[in-house]
Amino acid sequence: MTPKFKVGDRVVVKDQTSLFHTRTQAFVRNQEGTVVEHRPDWVIPEDEAFDKLETGRKEPFYVVRFKQTDLWPRYTGFAVDTLETECAEGWLRPAGKNE
Amino acid sequence: MSDPHKPIQASEEISEFEVLELALRELAIEKGLFSAEDHRRFSEWAESIGPSNGSKMVAKAWTDPEFKKRLLENGTEASKEVGIDWTDPTGTGTPSDYTFFYVLENTPQVHNVIVCTLCSCYPRPVLGMSPDWYRTPNYRRRMVRRPREVLAEFGLHFPSDVEVRVHDSNQKSRFMVMPMRPEGTDGWTEEQLEKIVTRDTMIGVALPSADWDASKAPSAGGGK
Amino acid sequence: MTTADQARFQTLTDGLAKIAPAEHDVQDSPYTITNAQYDVLRHVLHDVGGQPALSVPYLEKGEEAWEMNTYVTCECLGWRGAWNSEMRRRAEVDLGETQYFGYPYYARWLTVAAKVMVDKGLIPLDELCDRIDQVRDRLQEERK
Repeated sequence: MTPKFKVGDRVVVKDQTSLFHTRTQAFVRNQEGTVVEHRPDWVIPEDEAFDKLETGRKEPFYVVRFKQTDLWPRYTGFAVDTLETECAEGWLRPAGKNE
Repeated sequence: MSDPHKPIQASEEISEFEVLELALRELAIEKGLFSAEDHRRFSEWAESIGPSNGSKMVAKAWTDPEFKKRLLENGTEASKEVGIDWTDPTGTGTPSDYTFFYVLENTPQVHNVIVCTLCSCYPRPVLGMSPDWYRTPNYRRRMVRRPREVLAEFGLHFPSDVEVRVHDSNQKSRFMVMPMRPEGTDGWTEEQLEKIVTRDTMIGVALPSADWDASKAPSAGGGK
Repeated sequence: MTTADQARFQTLTDGLAKIAPAEHDVQDSPYTITNAQYDVLRHVLHDVGGQPALSVPYLEKGEEAWEMNTYVTCECLGWRGAWNSEMRRRAEVDLGETQYFGYPYYARWLTVAAKVMVDKGLIPLDELCDRIDQVRDRLQEERK
């Protein structure tokens, strides 16, 4: 699968309704970050968690880096601090656009 | 922060958990969900893993720049060079750890630390079983939002120009931190270096120091 | 403060926290709830990152035998295809607040392993319950 996003792209995590199961944390929803690495195509957790490990839908995954001062109100660390986590492509949209 | 000399004690009565586990295991084996031999083999593997696997990797990376490059480029492949095969013991990896291993290099500018806010994913093949505190909702809640406070509780403080980078291990990647080689270790052999690379230095809540020894807690070591 | 003083202070504050006045809303199938309350109740439970939490001592324990066995049993069930570990994690979320936060870590693993095997029809529920009683009796006999 060809990844939609390149390293260095600014992306925003979508805030879709999550019922029952998600691996996309509440604290990154609607947050903007930078793609820093690609990860292999994997079965999305929405399928894997429902017994579709072999037959589930695969998507490219990305390591996205956020500034901690963006993520948290009154962040108690320093401006230089970051947080990285991994997102499925379906959970990301390009920054600066509304889809 | 942790006190390894005062482990939590369970009560003396036969635990209902022990009863349930045995009942489940017996039925699973009887119904062919897995075999007794499977359980034995996996148990053997589970007993064999420990932080010394990771320590070997770090010590080798500290002394062999080419290995370090390979380790940072492809953690899963490079693990084999120190005898760790991420496909063990099933042939395709463990169900909970997968086979996508990445080593995070600490530098003078960046300090890495690992958490899994959603459950407590951990690189078992290279570090063994996770510390009990790592699995607590408390650690999972706080490390992403207040990393410097939690690190301070472990005895680590970083100046404002050092980036504290928290990795929330929420998918299939498994991570290990490669700490920087501390001062006072010039000329040390790999074996000597391995001994000071403790479990907690590879999670990111401790720093290795030349004067650490086994009488100290896994987290003691905030030295340079 | 000396260590003894700190311990006394901690005991005092722990006790005070228990008697602090609080409004306790009993949840017993209300007639209606707001969307905001619905959001709270349907939040995917394991997503705890950034939620309020105070500093607590981080302790070491080490696995008891039943815990190691639980871990191995769960992994063997995954190894041979009865489930996968993401199903385990989701089942833990399905337990709901009281059990998710009420059980020790491996007790969660164990409970959901049993639950999912029953859910999938791989182990009949009554056989499981029967076996639990048999095993309990057996262990009590063995350890007299």
